[in-house]
Amino acid sequence: MAKRAVIRNQIASLRKQHGLTQAALAEAVGVTRQTIIAIERNRYSPSLETAFRIAAVFSQSIDEVFEWLDGKEKVID
Amino acid sequence: MAFHEKSAWIMTLALLIGGLFYFGLVVLISNEMQQLAPPLLPLIVIYTIIQIILAVVGHILIAIWTPKEANASLDERDRRINERAGHWSGYVIGIGVITSLGLYLFTRNGDLLFYAVFASLMLSALAEYASQIVLYRTRL
Repeated sequence: MAKRAVIRNQIASLRKQHGLTQAALAEAVGVTRQTIIAIERNRYSPSLETAFRIAAVFSQSIDEVFEWLDGKEKVID
Repeated sequence: MAFHEKSAWIMTLALLIGGLFYFGLVVLISNEMQQLAPPLLPLIVIYTIIQIILAVVGHILIAIWTPKEANASLDERDRRINERAGHWSGYVIGIGVITSLGLYLFTRNGDLLFYAVFASLMLSALAEYASQIVLYRTRL
């Protein structure tokens, strides 16, 4: 059974808007490309520091990039 | 696939091959002797050499395959995966050693104790790398 994702994000759409590849975002943030893939697919919730770094790359506030579902919504990976 | 996941696959395969080789020979020798064979230093040396060769050659191959990722340091997800896998493998070695000690108390067989602890070490390492693979492929 798939685990419920508690944090959802808009990284994939923001990345496409900014014309960034997963590898470029990974380099800007300081993680591996596989970690960016895992975050985009809601398979990994990043640390607060990484979340801030990602938001900074897109010049957005953290809550515009990440959404905490607070157990209200069921999301299947 | 992340470089560290590929590395975990290499180590899992190396441990499986090495373990099958070592305990396969122990069973063969024991059958010849009609009793449990004592631990043999040359066999352990050969096992260790096989492990080193498989690990080194395997890592050279994946480094050639993905040269950009080969020098990448562990990021936060890699570290979290390593910590969790290490935590689980700790249980395996703990249970293995306690079981081995219990076995010795009942059998008073030092050779059997050696094999049981050695197998526990192998299983613990195998559990660590297998856990890493699972964690890389599931939600963390």
